[in-house]
Amino acid sequence: MTLSPARSSRTMALLLLSALLAAMVASLHVGLRTYDPDTIWRGLTGGIETDEIIVRSLRLPRTLIAITAGASLALSGLIMQAATRNPLAEPGLLGTNAGAAFAVTVGLSVFGYSGLLQVGGFAILGALVTTAVVFALTLRLGPNAGRATILLVGVTIAAMLASLTQILLLVDETALETLLFWLSGGFADRDLRLLWLGCGLLGLVLVGLVAIAGSIDALQLDDASARGIGVDVMRTRMLALGAAALLAAGAVAMAGPVMFLGLVAPHMAMRLTRRRPAFLTLAGLTMLSGALVAVLADILARLIVAPGEAPIGAVLAIVGVPVLIALLRKRGARAA
Amino acid sequence: MMRLRTVSRLGLLTAAVVAGFVTSLALGSSLIPPGRVLAALFGEGARMDEVIVWTLRLPRVLLAILAGAALALAGALLQRVTRNPMAAPSILGITDGAALGVVSFLWVFSDEANRLTVSIHWQPLAAAIGAFGFALIAGGLTLADPRGRGPLRLILYGIALAALAKAAVTLVMIIGPVYRAGQALTWLTGTIGAAHWGDVAVVAAGLAVAAPVLAWLNLPLRQLALDPQTAAATGLPVGRTQIVLLAISVALTALAVSQVGAVGFVGLIAPHAARLVIGAFAPGYLVATALIGSLLVLGADTLARLIAAPLELPAGAITALIGAPLFLTLLIRRQGTHG
Repeated sequence: MTLSPARSSRTMALLLLSALLAAMVASLHVGLRTYDPDTIWRGLTGGIETDEIIVRSLRLPRTLIAITAGASLALSGLIMQAATRNPLAEPGLLGTNAGAAFAVTVGLSVFGYSGLLQVGGFAILGALVTTAVVFALTLRLGPNAGRATILLVGVTIAAMLASLTQILLLVDETALETLLFWLSGGFADRDLRLLWLGCGLLGLVLVGLVAIAGSIDALQLDDASARGIGVDVMRTRMLALGAAALLAAGAVAMAGPVMFLGLVAPHMAMRLTRRRPAFLTLAGLTMLSGALVAVLADILARLIVAPGEAPIGAVLAIVGVPVLIALLRKRGARAA
Repeated sequence: MMRLRTVSRLGLLTAAVVAGFVTSLALGSSLIPPGRVLAALFGEGARMDEVIVWTLRLPRVLLAILAGAALALAGALLQRVTRNPMAAPSILGITDGAALGVVSFLWVFSDEANRLTVSIHWQPLAAAIGAFGFALIAGGLTLADPRGRGPLRLILYGIALAALAKAAVTLVMIIGPVYRAGQALTWLTGTIGAAHWGDVAVVAAGLAVAAPVLAWLNLPLRQLALDPQTAAATGLPVGRTQIVLLAISVALTALAVSQVGAVGFVGLIAPHAARLVIGAFAPGYLVATALIGSLLVLGADTLARLIAAPLELPAGAITALIGAPLFLTLLIRRQGTHG
């Protein structure tokens, strides 16, 4: 039996969705203490026992944040990859996450903490500026620069911003206490109001994406052909990168800088479909994959070093680095 | 024959290291003027000054100087052997591999009360195992790359492996007994912190073994800068020389990292600075590299102590701030010439 591409994507979407639902349920169950379904149900429906409150106020938020941040980072990675035609692009590796984190740190140590809007605002500013700088630098590398070179620029900028952040934090002790936990990346114990910020940015970008999805599809050809069918290449690319930066900013504000999700999820989605589907379909599959990977990584983070908790970034690096190496080894694509 | 220019520049670098040495000894939570530092060094100072200088500051300053020299030499050798100006122990994942070796060692050989069950003297060996392991993987992946062995491929695999090693270090630290913030910082970004004379001796011994070997390999090192065929035509056993030099480089990295943690970018900056100061083929290039490395780590550590005193910044964060822009410049210039 052969499936048409559309049907195969739909089947895959359903599969991913059911896997995600299963992972969500597991995420409510598993942890330092494992709860039975009854407790969880009572917790979700307003129970007042300690266990039930833990489910509602700790496990549920972290699951929701994992889903939103995972979907945002995954989509951000996919958009960057499509806009630059570079399968290695990702907000973590290209420095966008580090830029957002650095801006939030600067904002907090200069102006003091004045609310979640401030965190969101600085994250957005940092993400946009860093993305612009990295891509401006890669333009200076000339049109023949390999994909790998762009990655190197991003990784270096990210390393620089990370050490600046570190110095700033140590110099400013009060900021250190507020931020150290957030900067280590993770989905647990986050402010739920940030979830609405992340959801809002994700929704906003999705609406915008529908408008430029056709142009992004056209970008997958070479620039000349895209121009030939009337696409403003530069404008599409700018809009797409801006959207990717916004998504990364939302995710960083929620969960701290998390690497590799934006790399792993789009490639997972592409592996699941046999032919590259239209951009919007791929975006849907990518978001589902990202949310699924994030929830699974979060569960893993609770289990591998129990009773402690592993930073989500470390868990994702252990999954993501093999993916990166496999991508680097893939034949056929233009070499560095 | 060394030319006068080379000699004078090496002399200047040495003077700078000596000046840095005295300055760094003088600075700290209590300022001791250089005159009193010198008096204390030669055993003629006040009792208090002698305690501060000899037991508190001197080991740390010497460790910074020696570790800087070791990391710088390791970088210069790597760049020669891989014929890649962007190679450096921290970029190829060797530094983080060594740090992983150390934290794994502390984890495996600790009992319930966080006491080591074996001697701490094995720690450099654990660092060496981690460093060699990651160097082998990065090299193996590059050699087996289906898309050719371009210089950027090695760097990319190295960066990927470094991320993996960093993640593993974090996890091992949480599982293991090293979960104390001060020590954790050492293994993540490199902090010289409280050094003991034993630490100094380990790195000094490594350098003492490496230096004569490198002096003896001076000619092969210059032959290696030619392309492989020409180098082989000059009678150099290319493969064997490369392996020996790589081994020295990895061992020096492991020794330095086992004592000061994952200080990055020194092996990248120092050889390039030495190239600017006296030229890559001048005799004394390696000496200049080592001196600049010492100066760099000493400067970074002194700054790290002072900027936010009484807090200490990781010296590795400061070397990264200098190293990252340099790496970008190299990358952009490379694209400009080889586009």
